[in-house]
Amino acid sequence: MKKQLLALALCCVASLAGANEGVKLEKIQVDPSNPAVKRGVEAFMESCHGCHSLKYIKYQDLVGLGFDKAKVKEWQGDWTIDSPVMGMMPDDAAMASFGTIPPELSLMAKARDGGNNYMYSYLMGYYTGADGVTGNHVFPASKMPDPLGISSATEPAQRAEIAAKARDIVSFLNWASDPHEQERFRLGYYVMGYLLVLTSLLYVMKNRIWARLK
Amino acid sequence: MSNKIMQWVDRRFPLTSFVKHDLSEYPTPRNLSYWWNFGSLAGIVLVLQVLTGIFLAMHYKADVAQSFNSIQHIMRDVNYGWLLRYMHSTGASAFFLVIFIHMARTLYYGSYRAPRELLWWTGQGLLLLLMGTAFMGYLLPWGQMSFWGATVITNLFRATPFIGDQVVVWLRGDYTVGDETLTRFFALHYLLPFVIIGAVMVHLIALHMVKSSNPSGIDLADKDNIPFHPYFTIKDLYGLGVFLMVYFGFALFFPNLLIEPANNIPANPMQTPNHIVPEWYFLPFYAILRSVPNMVGGVVAMGLSVMLFAFMPFLDRSKIPGGALYRPIYRLQFYLFIIDMMILGYIGYVPPTDQTIVIGQIASVVYFGIFFILPFTSKIEEKWLRNRGLPAQVEALIASEELQIAQKKSGGK
Repeated sequence: MKKQLLALALCCVASLAGANEGVKLEKIQVDPSNPAVKRGVEAFMESCHGCHSLKYIKYQDLVGLGFDKAKVKEWQGDWTIDSPVMGMMPDDAAMASFGTIPPELSLMAKARDGGNNYMYSYLMGYYTGADGVTGNHVFPASKMPDPLGISSATEPAQRAEIAAKARDIVSFLNWASDPHEQERFRLGYYVMGYLLVLTSLLYVMKNRIWARLK
Repeated sequence: MSNKIMQWVDRRFPLTSFVKHDLSEYPTPRNLSYWWNFGSLAGIVLVLQVLTGIFLAMHYKADVAQSFNSIQHIMRDVNYGWLLRYMHSTGASAFFLVIFIHMARTLYYGSYRAPRELLWWTGQGLLLLLMGTAFMGYLLPWGQMSFWGATVITNLFRATPFIGDQVVVWLRGDYTVGDETLTRFFALHYLLPFVIIGAVMVHLIALHMVKSSNPSGIDLADKDNIPFHPYFTIKDLYGLGVFLMVYFGFALFFPNLLIEPANNIPANPMQTPNHIVPEWYFLPFYAILRSVPNMVGGVVAMGLSVMLFAFMPFLDRSKIPGGALYRPIYRLQFYLFIIDMMILGYIGYVPPTDQTIVIGQIASVVYFGIFFILPFTSKIEEKWLRNRGLPAQVEALIASEELQIAQKKSGGK
């Protein structure tokens, strides 16, 4: 009996370890500040917008982040200011070139296990193999060419610059997945503070009222 | 003046006597612990869900082409739509957490014992309604997990004898989960909460007939009951404050913790997610379903695992009051059951491997075993405890209970 219990316990431990399979993701802290998100927008427009859409983000929302209209005009091209940020490449062209349709990115920060860490590790996960072919550690089946050039960057300074860019892009996509996140946190602090005071008062009152009983 | 209005009303409607009888002077055992807070908390979560749900429904579109977008519209464009939606999605989990604690308390203290069987059974009905409502609500965002979860669960009705295939088509309104399914799930998800409110009324009427149980396990003498107001209004309010801190902690700081990443991808009938998991509150039952190799057997086992709670008044044959409080063997069974539930929950969550299937099967056998041995263990335990000599305090409780029963029989008070 004891042996069976031990085996059961070991199985539990083993399966816990097994659940964590796959590539280890790098952990990053996204920067929700406005400058970082804005840097992320610029990097996104430069490196991602060619193929990827953000259909729940409108060009107008970028003006809301603090870009001036002339700058946004460059990105929006023939689209209007209140149209969603659609990728530049038509789906059939993407299908012809890459054999897949580039995924929509508005919710990417929430649509993968690991979220922001996944996106960052994926962007930074490109490498050049011994045969000179580029691969990706995090998503080996990826059809996306290395967008930031990390696979060919060898200089530490250059790699650091790309890492910073990747982090900015992730910060922007995190914002895009939930534009009200910071507002929610701010409200949260007030709500928790209020509830803490209220609940403490209720506790005191409860004790006073119950003290009437002998 | 107000006195006169009240008299006018009371001659036509028993308002004052109702408030006195069922609210302000409603006699409540003074020894209730904080575990007795969860019933009223469940009522408040129900109200929160209905209120946030009604406002969400004003902006939601039940249409396969628009559902996913309308959720994003709520999250981004509707004023405080994100708050409504996160309160509602967190509220579903909060509801089950509160109900599970409420049930665990009933099991621990043996509150299902006579005369509270009907109270327990109306609660069992409420649990089923809650599960149905939550299941249908989960389809509405039309994400990958919504779609595949609904596909897997409606598919289980194929186990219906003879007309299984027809039943599945009838439930879905189509051969696959689609627009028809989404529209009817929305209609029912809006309807069922009001059925729940009605069922809660029945639950409360049953409660006010037999009154609250209490940790001693027997009905207390009149002098040990105190009026609900102000003692329990303030105690419930304090409990509500603590609950709201936990609830808003999740809703405002970690609202995505319990939302599967795959549900942020629109439903795609052509692409099955790597691994389909239900919401956390269904995991133990889902694990039991998966533990039986045969589908019909699995469905029966899962149904039984939910319904077995209703049999507790028959299965527990011990006459010793106080549930697990004075009964070491029952207490052991209780904790074993809780641990077993957690193991099953974990097994329901992970992708099945040879190992986890075996663990799931053992845990399922333990789950049913605990119920099935209860008639024997409860009897043996009682005999053993009586032979050993009950503590004076327990003897007194039993004597007091017997006296009350005798008095009630003779018609006195």
